[in-house]
Amino acid sequence: MNFTEILDKLKAGHEVLESKEDLGVLNAWVAPKKIRDVIGFLKDDMHFNQLSFVTAVDLPITNNIEVVYRLFSYETKDNVVIKVKLDRVKPEIETITGIFATANWHERETAEMFGMKFINHPDPNKLLLPDGIEAPLRKDFTCADMVPLPKA
Amino acid sequence: MKAKKVVKDQKTNKKEKTENMTIKAPFELEKLSNDEYILNMGPQHPSTHGVLRIILKLDGEVVKDLYADVGYIHSSVEKMCENKKYEMIMPYTDRLDYLSAVNYNWAYALAVEKLMGITIPERAEYIRVMLAELNRIMSHLLWYSAYGMDVGALTPIMYAFREREEVIDMIEGMTGGRLTHNAFRFGGFKNDLQKGFMDSLKKFIGHFNDKIDEYEALLINNVILTARTKGVGILSKETAMSYGVTGPSLRGSDCAIDLRKTAPYSIYDKFDFKVCTGKNGDTWDRLKVRMDEMRESTKILKQAMEGIPAGDIMAKVPKIIKPAPGEVYTKVESARGEFGVYIISDGTDKPYRIKFRSPSFSNLSVLKEIAIGSKIADVVAIMGSLDLVIPEIDR
Repeated sequence: MNFTEILDKLKAGHEVLESKEDLGVLNAWVAPKKIRDVIGFLKDDMHFNQLSFVTAVDLPITNNIEVVYRLFSYETKDNVVIKVKLDRVKPEIETITGIFATANWHERETAEMFGMKFINHPDPNKLLLPDGIEAPLRKDFTCADMVPLPKA
Repeated sequence: MKAKKVVKDQKTNKKEKTENMTIKAPFELEKLSNDEYILNMGPQHPSTHGVLRIILKLDGEVVKDLYADVGYIHSSVEKMCENKKYEMIMPYTDRLDYLSAVNYNWAYALAVEKLMGITIPERAEYIRVMLAELNRIMSHLLWYSAYGMDVGALTPIMYAFREREEVIDMIEGMTGGRLTHNAFRFGGFKNDLQKGFMDSLKKFIGHFNDKIDEYEALLINNVILTARTKGVGILSKETAMSYGVTGPSLRGSDCAIDLRKTAPYSIYDKFDFKVCTGKNGDTWDRLKVRMDEMRESTKILKQAMEGIPAGDIMAKVPKIIKPAPGEVYTKVESARGEFGVYIISDGTDKPYRIKFRSPSFSNLSVLKEIAIGSKIADVVAIMGSLDLVIPEIDR
């Protein structure tokens, strides 16, 4: 399947807010409330059987946190990227752990790194970070340890 | 003023954490029945090969529940990389997985090359394949030695390290490092293969297959080991796929998925090799897959040695690395599974966002599914068969 075929199939049942092709891979933006439907549809009906990763990108210019889901199909060898724009002040989105079990850890990592919340997550604890450090991968993160070395 | 406050917060939180050591675990001490108890395995436990803590809920010797507590050596590599130029990031990638560093360099080099549209000279591609396969053998040999020690066999390490030394010498000559090899440049290599590389490689290929038979006779086909690992820690195909397990751990569950075949990168489509799989998905199958993979790697090395052309080893690459805005995800089959690099470029000389998708991260998350119900001694055998490297989980 190429870029347009995947997009057409996705558009047939779901609302795609925006889409673009990046190095031959479809990037589709969907509404936050529809994420479970879209990922479920891609897994069950379009054979995208691997969730490569879940991560996020901080975009202070547009005041968004963008969550990125990347899926791969071992059967058709296609890639697809689903993105969701969230409000930077209160980023919240439904978990997809019920669809892909691997999302559990990936979402926990994303949540602590970007200070977001995955609703209905089975284990909303921190994964890698100790308590007391919040959202280090946000662009405006500051920490007392991040001071440049004095010039000799 | 603000900075001081952060430090204070961290200190108070640290104190709280030490007071409630099991605070992160999903099972609470008060809710345990009379026969159950909690055991901490790690963070400093010899079989975790790094700093990994597993909290076990036990009933006698049987594991009732399990919780992996990771992050002890989290170093925020992704944040560091956002503040580094593209060229400066390369050494960080080989420190994620010190055992198969070449593959990690490769994934990162591939990502930047794809973003910039650089084509690699054929000779450089061959050298990359040879280094990566040698590195895979190196990693599997270390796993084999360490696994032997995990299950109580102290002899295999003596045999495996004899051959591993040969491989290290070959890689060291090319990359200058015995552990965190770093020879990759965007566009190829800076130096060609060292004098005598081909001779040592020929000698190595000549006798290595016999040595693998020796290893299998020594450990893998040993009666005690087969009794300990067959039928233990069964990972079904569906569970493995759902948890994103990749690499030999996935192939042990009868999934013929190897990125060198399913999504060939570089020149892997030119080589004739087989994807090794297991039948039952138990611990023994995962061991056997790794042993078979070493044979296939030798096969690839032999073909690469015969087919390597003469010519350039470096493509024309701009002095200043400034990829066009866009994003890219490249993945390679490392010794542990799919390692991927996701870069978002904003057109400057530093990446806007970089994400490392590491195989052990997903492979460890499945431990809970396969270890519950087994005996505590089997947890060590099962965990060893997943071949975890902790720095790439914590990053």
